Amino acid sequence: MPKSRFLSTSLKSTIAAAALLSSSALVSAEETIKVGILHSLSGTMAISETTLKDVMLMLIEKQNEKGGLLGKKLEPVVVDPASNWPLFAEKARGLIEKDKVSAVFGCWTSVSRKSVLPVFEELNSLLFYPVQYEGEESSKNVFYTGAAPNQQAIPAVDYLMSEEGGSVKRWVLAGTDYVYPRTTNKILEAYLKSKGVASEDIMINYTPFGHSDWQTIVSDIKKFGAAGKKTAVVSTINGDANVPFYKELGNQGVSAEDIPVVAFSVGEEELAGLSTAPLVGHLAAWNYFQSVEAPVNAKFVQDWKAFIKDEKRVTNDPMEAHFIGFNMWVEAVKKAGTTDPDAVGEAIIGVTVPNLSGGYSAMMPNHHITKPVLIGEIQEDGQFETVWQTSGQVVGDAWSDYLPGSKDLISDWRKPLSCGNFNVKTGKCGGQGN
Amino acid sequence: MCTVAQLTDIMKLARSLVLVLLCLLAGLTASAASDFPQALSGLAEKSFKKRLGAINAVAVSGHERAQTVLEALAQRRLFVANPGKRLVIKTEAGGYQMAVTGEPAGEIAKPALKRVKTNNRLRKVIRNALGTLTLRSPDPARRLAAAQTIFASRDASALPILEVALAAETDIQVRTVMERARAASTLMGSAGEADKLEAISTIRQMGNQDAIALLSAFGDRAKGAEKAAASQAIAEIERTLALWSGAQNVIYGLSLGSVLLLAAIGLAITFGVMGVINMAHGEMVMLGAYVTFAVQEVLRTSFPGLFDWSLLFAIPLAFLVSGCVGVALERGVIRFLYGRPLETLLATWGVSLILQQAVRTIFGPNNREVGNPSWMSGSFELGQLALTWNRLYIILFALLIFAGLYAAMRWTSFGLQMRSVVQNRQMAGAMGIRTKWIDALTFGLGSGIAGIAGVAISQIDNVSPNLGQSYIIDSFMVVVFGGVGNLWGTLVGAMTLGVANKFLEPYAGAVLAKIFVLVFIILFIQKRPRGLFALKGRGIEA
Amino acid sequence: MIVRLLSRSLDHWSYGFLAVLVLVSIILPALHLLVPPGSYFHVSGYAIGLMGKYLCFALLALSVDLIWGFCGILSLGHGAFFALGGYAMGMYLMRQIGSRGVYGHPELPDFMVFLNWQELPWFWLGFDSFAYAAVMIVAVPGALAFVFGWFAFRSRVTGVYLSIITQALTYALMLAFFRNDMGFGGNNGLTDFKDILGFSLQAPGTRAALFSASALALGLGFVVCRLITRSRAGKVLEAIRDAESRVRFLGYRVERYKLAVFVISACLAGIAGALYVPQVGIINPGEFSPANSIEIVIAVAVGGRGTLFGPIVGAVLVNFAKTWFTGALPELWLFALGGLFIAVTLFLPRGIVGLVQSYWPRLPAAGVANRAAKPSTEGSTR
Repeated sequence: MPKSRFLSTSLKSTIAAAALLSSSALVSAEETIKVGILHSLSGTMAISETTLKDVMLMLIEKQNEKGGLLGKKLEPVVVDPASNWPLFAEKARGLIEKDKVSAVFGCWTSVSRKSVLPVFEELNSLLFYPVQYEGEESSKNVFYTGAAPNQQAIPAVDYLMSEEGGSVKRWVLAGTDYVYPRTTNKILEAYLKSKGVASEDIMINYTPFGHSDWQTIVSDIKKFGAAGKKTAVVSTINGDANVPFYKELGNQGVSAEDIPVVAFSVGEEELAGLSTAPLVGHLAAWNYFQSVEAPVNAKFVQDWKAFIKDEKRVTNDPMEAHFIGFNMWVEAVKKAGTTDPDAVGEAIIGVTVPNLSGGYSAMMPNHHITKPVLIGEIQEDGQFETVWQTSGQVVGDAWSDYLPGSKDLISDWRKPLSCGNFNVKTGKCGGQGN
Repeated sequence: MCTVAQLTDIMKLARSLVLVLLCLLAGLTASAASDFPQALSGLAEKSFKKRLGAINAVAVSGHERAQTVLEALAQRRLFVANPGKRLVIKTEAGGYQMAVTGEPAGEIAKPALKRVKTNNRLRKVIRNALGTLTLRSPDPARRLAAAQTIFASRDASALPILEVALAAETDIQVRTVMERARAASTLMGSAGEADKLEAISTIRQMGNQDAIALLSAFGDRAKGAEKAAASQAIAEIERTLALWSGAQNVIYGLSLGSVLLLAAIGLAITFGVMGVINMAHGEMVMLGAYVTFAVQEVLRTSFPGLFDWSLLFAIPLAFLVSGCVGVALERGVIRFLYGRPLETLLATWGVSLILQQAVRTIFGPNNREVGNPSWMSGSFELGQLALTWNRLYIILFALLIFAGLYAAMRWTSFGLQMRSVVQNRQMAGAMGIRTKWIDALTFGLGSGIAGIAGVAISQIDNVSPNLGQSYIIDSFMVVVFGGVGNLWGTLVGAMTLGVANKFLEPYAGAVLAKIFVLVFIILFIQKRPRGLFALKGRGIEA
Repeated sequence: MIVRLLSRSLDHWSYGFLAVLVLVSIILPALHLLVPPGSYFHVSGYAIGLMGKYLCFALLALSVDLIWGFCGILSLGHGAFFALGGYAMGMYLMRQIGSRGVYGHPELPDFMVFLNWQELPWFWLGFDSFAYAAVMIVAVPGALAFVFGWFAFRSRVTGVYLSIITQALTYALMLAFFRNDMGFGGNNGLTDFKDILGFSLQAPGTRAALFSASALALGLGFVVCRLITRSRAGKVLEAIRDAESRVRFLGYRVERYKLAVFVISACLAGIAGALYVPQVGIINPGEFSPANSIEIVIAVAVGGRGTLFGPIVGAVLVNFAKTWFTGALPELWLFALGGLFIAVTLFLPRGIVGLVQSYWPRLPAAGVANRAAKPSTEGSTR
């Protein structure tokens, strides 16, 4: 009978498909320790994230050359979430449930992190997130090795307000319309006002992703800057939109001596995509530059160029964040003697490893790390020259002190508190409370 | 306005001033000569404040080497050589000379050198100092730059030097700028009311944002008649500027429109004329941009002198590359799908994925650097309109492409055959036209034009594998809005959408402006379902 | 009467398909919940989640097939209706979080606290009730489809023009939802959901139930589409697809038929979106992106348009291929996927179902596919 044959074949194939999906779970993960790499290799974010996948492969290779970890080899598991946010959650679940990875290094955008966060909490695995972000989050399962706003935005503004930075009195906060610029600008606006800057001296502007026609906005900035007071632009413009923005700045003759632009999302990788001659002197705030003079950095840059087999490739801040995060995880696993997420999560707090700027970074109880803050000027060769840096390491602050919703919140994942949003006013875990 | 008598008076005054000043300078130089090495050594200090002080000290020292040293510092050629903390200047030839004396410093090993770092603040101080120092340079261009610097710095203490320089100035253009600089310095200084009122009228004639900035800075601390004159001048300038800003928006709109036109015009052929929904059109644009990158890369390494001509090489190459890919696409995929337009959509979507990934595999996922040739960099002013050269060239280029394509369609035999195939395939075939070849060549032409568009777009946007994706939807909107199958429709459509977008942007912001334009297109299509320039025909369904 | 209607519309192939769906919706969750992990027959949460997702895409593809395969309306913006349904569900789930958000605000979702909003915007009111949200899941996409279709079909916008403006519609919505000022969470969208109808979303039971619900919805959607396409109105729709003007000259109000089927299709897409969101845990403006809508159209073509079985097979296959390739060939998967699309359009013009039919001519509904694939003289698809 055709009917029953059809039925039975489809039933069989369904079971086969189900078995296919779950069968790899049966392969035991004893021989190696698996490390998940969750970075987009296609789609809009591939521009930034592919490099991070490569740097992770390099770090894992180097660790294996040193004999691996706990006597086992490390095995990278690379997947492509294709800049598609629901796919990030799916891939994260696959890495943890199917591939049984011990930790995942990945994500770039805030939304990808938000998308995978519930997965990591549900399945209790560890994520190392290497990019500067807006803060206002602290999860038991996530380690934020990029900068929080107080490790990037606030020191940059402080520098520009100082005499050395040009005593800036008037501010343009320009950003792409998404959560990181919105929050950073909100924090900066509150901060600037607390420093006595009047509302009419702050101009806020948001543009869509990938905005490419900057004529109007750059001429508005020029106009705003012509009002007599020293003006600076604080740019949280995202990745792709920066190239046409800087090209327009250069062509309209906005020089860094008149209106400096300090960017939080422009690193060496982004500069590699444009000719920097008209941009010399514009600024960026990061925790690491390729040009930092330290033996550990020289070796890292050399290793990277050898690994990627291209002398022209550059290093940048999120790569350093992965370098720190990976070494911290390695140290914590050694300390705990196991890759069990709970044990590693407990062991990693307080772990201190060298960072690439010649100092040491430590994992704090709020799952953020300590880092120096560097302000660099764009040079003609596409590198940054450090013009200012904090005297010591700055502790990442998960909850901003300048936002009304979060100023009373702290995060401390040590026992017995073990809370990501502890309210110091009410003495309770769980945000503002009632 | 000054009368002739007043002018001669001023000249006399100036001449006497020169004498006084020269004497003063001579005295200063004598006393400062010994300070110069000391001021210079301050440049090697680590502290920012001390270096700032040192720059000022060097600038006022009046020493003959002051200008050379400051220029070297601004151009990042000043180094501290260890041991001994000697300051040396790297010469153009590659050697080193002592900063103090200019004598050759001999061989110095690289590790012993440390560049004297500057930042924006220091560079600004240096620029201002050099402004005063180079005001009497023999080169008019440098005098002009110096006068502009002084205007921007509004340095009241520069007034005497300006007077001296003005008295000797013969170049009209430099003179005008110097007069403005003098007016700026006068306003910021302690001159009398009459002088200041005259300065205000000089500034008012500039009629631009800089003038407003200066006048409002002056108005903040002026009183009485001076304040009134300043605010009146500001109001007047603002009125004229408001008129100019309308024109400026039109220019911005045309510029955006010409980018849309470039992106869409190839599609107007493949989609408009042939009816192929080519989702890989954006990737043809991307290929053109990557060809530009490759050409520049070759020129940069092998023939650096030809870099400014890179685009001229890139245009035909981009046409060839994209055109060949287009012909291959037509022969390999699309010709099997004629009569099934929606399935070409699916197949070309697949092609676009493959092309994107191919470029990503070959060139890497990162943005690639495509430089502007020098003749496309910078901007110029026309009245109060600020025009950037690259935008202007792109507008011209887009119009040129349009005209060329229109002429090719209209007056060449290939164009004639193409149109006949579109109108009646069987009949054209019966007349001996090789319709299949015409199909392939038409598709190749549309793709090649897209490649040329890529060359232009590489000048203003990212060159990355995602480049094509960001233009594909806009291109389809332009073609549909303008009317499928009509090149004029594409031109008018692109320019209308560009200008509308730019007029909405100041009020609604960039995002809302774009949304409004999209909604407008949706509504417009309801009103005229065949677009702006519909092809007239008797069919019920075209 | 309903029984008679059903028995007239559904053939034994449809019954077979529905039986498979029911079996799948019982067996897989049972294997997930009852068989201990480690056993060969255990179905992991990952697999259940994946297949639940595929079923949602299958329902979306079904809704596209209803208008494209049977009425010749090619919508390149159906993802918009899917996403709107998803947002309606997301808003309900957001309100269910209550004071468990990171800021602990009793009423406002986290992103509003973040942006210093003081109270809920009016369009968020009511979403704390599941019944209201359930109505909105079909009402919002339905209403948008009604307004859009009312204008478009009345002005006789057809073929490619319609496809392009549906694309403009979803693109405009994407840009709008990206704006943080809209009150839908901007680029981050809605996420961090806790529970649905009081059941924790992270519990295996809930996941299994959502999977079964998706299978059920797909089954019901299939029955609805079958009923429509086998009815008298369905014949009119097919006639509109093949020769719109002739149908109009025969006295049928073509735009009414088109509008009705377009709205029904949008509602189905909305339901698919609503089921999709709790299973993937996030809804953001990326779902509006034109690429998503094109991908689902491609899934329909791969499976075989105008067959109702085809799109379901196509959606599951294309998405399975995507999952498989992005894991197995992370650097090269776009080559494989692009090649698949080209190969299918060139060599399988009637999709997989068409291929099966050519070896197995007794498979029903293929006649429709056969006709649909022929170049139509009046170019209704142009």
